[in-house]
Amino acid sequence: MNTHISPAIIMRIKEFGESDLLVTFFTSERGRLKGVAKGGRKSQKRFANCLDLFCLTSLEYELKRKGDLHFLHSCKLINPFPGLRSDFSSLSLASYMIELTEILFPLGVTDKEMFELLKNAFLTLNEGGRTDTLRILFEARAMALGGYKINLDKCCGCGRPYAGEGRVVFKRSKGVIACMKCEQESKISPGLGPDTVKALRIIQSTPWSKVEDSPLTDEMISEIKPVFKLHMEYRIDRRLKTAKYLE
Amino acid sequence: MGIYPRSLERLIKEFSRLPGIGQKSATRVALYVLRSNRELAEGLAGSLIEVKEKIRFCSICFTLTDDDPCSICCNENRSNGTICVVEGPGEQLALEESGSFKGRYHVLHGVLSPLDGIGPEDLKIGELLNRLDGEGIREVILATNPTTEGEATASFLVKLLSEKKKGLKITRIALGVPMGGDLKYMDRMTLEHALSSRTPVTP
Repeated sequence: MNTHISPAIIMRIKEFGESDLLVTFFTSERGRLKGVAKGGRKSQKRFANCLDLFCLTSLEYELKRKGDLHFLHSCKLINPFPGLRSDFSSLSLASYMIELTEILFPLGVTDKEMFELLKNAFLTLNEGGRTDTLRILFEARAMALGGYKINLDKCCGCGRPYAGEGRVVFKRSKGVIACMKCEQESKISPGLGPDTVKALRIIQSTPWSKVEDSPLTDEMISEIKPVFKLHMEYRIDRRLKTAKYLE
Repeated sequence: MGIYPRSLERLIKEFSRLPGIGQKSATRVALYVLRSNRELAEGLAGSLIEVKEKIRFCSICFTLTDDDPCSICCNENRSNGTICVVEGPGEQLALEESGSFKGRYHVLHGVLSPLDGIGPEDLKIGELLNRLDGEGIREVILATNPTTEGEATASFLVKLLSEKKKGLKITRIALGVPMGGDLKYMDRMTLEHALSSRTPVTP
């Protein structure tokens, strides 16, 4: 038997036929997968109340030899994250996190750290964490895990290593920083203060559990926001459709 | 070119466009229509055209109806002052079939779902707010499904409704163990809801 039991976060659910559900879920062992839950809409035992959006479940599924669709046997609810459904801003941010994960991690691309990031982000959001801070922490870490980390080590113009002296500007075309001698601040090259660069370094490379305690000031948030907006639009080549609900 | 005559091929193709009907089912239905008498085909075709021409949204509650306003909004025997908010016409029909609610309805036509690109402006929320004063509403029952999106929509409505009309009674349908359910298979959240909304039992 090719059956696996794994913690999974439910990313999308779609009605499939008369009583089945088409489920997209994210696992730590196999990344994002798609599966069919036979009788999932009516089941009171195998899938009772656990195939719901954003829920963390223990999912038993069978790997398919051909095609993308797996067969879901049963699941058990671990955490429904009730805080995510308590208001529209939490629902929107959770949806945004899911959409970004889908873009950065196509079907079957495995990353345990991304699973942990998504899980911990949902846990923090569930507990009522500040949505603007959470969004930045998630974007920075997810982009880094997806291979789009902003290089904050040296100036892209003169090559001088950056050790926290003065402001820098972000260059979206290269995903790097440049010192003020080489570049000017503008709308497409927003500036970052030394403390912001330091904080960004930490959140890009530190797992979530340690980052959530490190405070980002309002000033840092206002500096990082436009940087990630430009960085993500340039790297992903589109604007996330859930982003408009966060504004 | 297919194995069936062109007109039959076209009918199969049209049937297979319907949800839940694949190529095989579409062929079976098409062959059945072909074998049946003319009356069935005419009745089916007539109903399809009629439904598209006549069915529209009720201008008050936004359910599907032949006549505007719908029979529920026109019914003077139903109690005014209470609106039950549902996701879609299917949910309204289920509540009507239960016969346990005698007030008015409001159909949202969906739930908030950022992943599917559905925001507050895509639902009939503004129309609900307009009804509050116009109809002298005293209670709003939120009967969206207890899914993540349904719950978020209910929370969103609670905030909007309470801001719009002070003193308005806002209630949520009870959540918990369903009839015929088994506690062994219930999840933590359902049991929490069931226990927190327990009701006193009198002999």
